[in-house]
Amino acid sequence: MRTTHGRTVRTTHGRTVRTAHGPLLYARSRALPLTLAALAGTALFAVWAAGRLDAYLDPGRRVPIVALAPLLASAVIGTSLYSASDELDRTAVRPWWPRRLGQLTALAALAAALVAPAVLGHAETFGAPAVVRNTLGCTGITAAAAVLLGARLSWLPAFAYVTAVYLGSATAHGRAAAVWAWPMQPGAQRGAWAVAVAAFAVGAVLYAVRGARPEGSRA
Amino acid sequence: MSSLRVTGLRVRHRKTLALDSLDLALGTGVHGLLGPNGAGKTSLIRVLATVARPDAGRVELLGEDTAAHRGLAGVRRRLGYLPQDFGYYPGFTVREFVAYVAWLKEMPAADVPAAVERAVARVGLADRIDAKVRTLSGGMVRRVGIAQAIVNDPAVLLLDEPTAGLDPEQRVEFRGLLRELGATATVVVSTHLVEDVAAACTEVTLLDAGRIAYRGTPQALSLLGETSGGPGDHPIERGYTAALRAHRAPGAREAV
Repeated sequence: MRTTHGRTVRTTHGRTVRTAHGPLLYARSRALPLTLAALAGTALFAVWAAGRLDAYLDPGRRVPIVALAPLLASAVIGTSLYSASDELDRTAVRPWWPRRLGQLTALAALAAALVAPAVLGHAETFGAPAVVRNTLGCTGITAAAAVLLGARLSWLPAFAYVTAVYLGSATAHGRAAAVWAWPMQPGAQRGAWAVAVAAFAVGAVLYAVRGARPEGSRA
Repeated sequence: MSSLRVTGLRVRHRKTLALDSLDLALGTGVHGLLGPNGAGKTSLIRVLATVARPDAGRVELLGEDTAAHRGLAGVRRRLGYLPQDFGYYPGFTVREFVAYVAWLKEMPAADVPAAVERAVARVGLADRIDAKVRTLSGGMVRRVGIAQAIVNDPAVLLLDEPTAGLDPEQRVEFRGLLRELGATATVVVSTHLVEDVAAACTEVTLLDAGRIAYRGTPQALSLLGETSGGPGDHPIERGYTAALRAHRAPGAREAV
């Protein structure tokens, strides 16, 4: 007999109890329901903020949304990488890398899909492609930071970097700027895409192989 | 026959040598692991639990070399582990947390509900099985930790400070559970409480500075205490200090 949250089983004591499936317990252990709600909230906030920018006059006015909404989404994803019982998780029979990789890529794809509709149109400048690129890049940096610093502080390096670039790249131009100021570049800028995709690949592989850095007494 | 064998085990923590060329073989029974803080007890338990890798040496569990990936999954299925600080997911009930660990151990899904109830009942928490773990007292949380460690009826059970936070009555009950588990499994208990070792263990290993300072039965350690006249309120405490001091005496290390 199955239910939506697990399955109902009659135990050896004759009682009927409901137990959740392993994958569902895994999802709850990573606070994925809360993460999904936070990503939805981020997307709604991005839509609301984008509507107040009058971007039809100048697509460049969308830069705050293009840069900051993916940053916020990546911070949400980063904190979901925390494992409260890391020491026990390490004794698991099943290999962790497929689950970690699946969690990270699924959340990054979902975040991009949720935030991109806030900036539809103007794909060549500051539209949905730029949001997808920045979501990938910021999530990659956040995942790498989770491995090096721990999940709870994983948002910090991406936040510091994107904020610094946001404040310092107004007058930056040229090939070098396309690389170091990738979160501020138009969606068609190839160099910025290369950096963001590389950041995601490195972060995803690092996280899949090593997991978030243990926090607490064994850190 | 030994279900657990380590040879030439060396573990480093940054610049500190936690375990130094350790040789140990343990079979069915309850094995107490004693030693002062920093002696290497937790390092040894973590290596045996396959969560930490040794810098040198060989670890064999249930006949499999843990360095070989091929046999590792099979070993972990038959391994139970209670870390010193195991952490738990705040939103989980006792039932869900123990079921989560059963899932980590790849227990057949159909067996999990009954196994979870049995493990929780064995630690005396049957009436709190659907309570959130975060609402339990420290001693109860520790018992949840023991329940998750035994949910898969492990052949090798590793317990790091299992009685920390348990009241005297719970400790007496836990010793009974240890004796029951030790009849069929290899149980390794790291503890500072020598009276637990005296009451429940079939064998005791005393570690000091990453090396074995003493091995024998609790009775032999108590006898050593009675004959040595070292400090302590109970014979086994006196035996503990006497064995440590003998190990630390100049020239003794080479002889071990």
